[in-house]
Amino acid sequence: MIHTRPDRDGQEQLRLLAAAREEAARYWQDEVARQFDAGRWTPLVQQSQAYLEALGALMDLLETAERDTEF
Amino acid sequence: MAWSGSEGTNKVHADIDALNGFHEALVRFRHVQRSVAERSDDEIEMTRASLAAKASHWQARLEQSQAEFDACRAVPGADCSGYARAVEQAGEWLEHIRRWQQRVDEAAGEFRGTAGAFWDLLQNDLPRAESLLLALIADLEAARRAS
Repeated sequence: MIHTRPDRDGQEQLRLLAAAREEAARYWQDEVARQFDAGRWTPLVQQSQAYLEALGALMDLLETAERDTEF
Repeated sequence: MAWSGSEGTNKVHADIDALNGFHEALVRFRHVQRSVAERSDDEIEMTRASLAAKASHWQARLEQSQAEFDACRAVPGADCSGYARAVEQAGEWLEHIRRWQQRVDEAAGEFRGTAGAFWDLLQNDLPRAESLLLALIADLEAARRAS
């Protein structure tokens, strides 16, 4: 079993979601779309990025803690 | 709904397909990120347990080294410097692990605030965005049927 870090899986999923949003944006460009971008999409991306960056930093710290306490 | 190019049946289909794809990606994103959050909690707990086990191991080693050092000192004229070094080394290593335990606890505590906000987004905001998209798709499909 390949063990991947949760933050990397989360980043990959955010990338896939952004690609799906981009595809939808090719067709969906009305006022509702602009409201969706401002009210839903932008906060979702910003909050996801903040979370995944914080998670990445924490995972780095946990790995270092394990490594640095091996005698 | 506004088309980005010329209107037509194919355009409507492509539009609905793209929105459906986006909706499915949102649902998948919510499920995967929930799993990410749960796995993150597991990783934190595993590291805490690992550090606790190491601290326990070195605590026992410190006590054993101290007992050996004490026994050596009871022998007149014995060279106990090796035992003294072992006590010092075990004590330093135990402190090192305890500092890491504290650092991990602090970092996990700080992270909990960010994680809580994100969890709230997954539980509340994202389902609302998904519902909005579903309603849009339903409107588009109704418009397609009417045309």
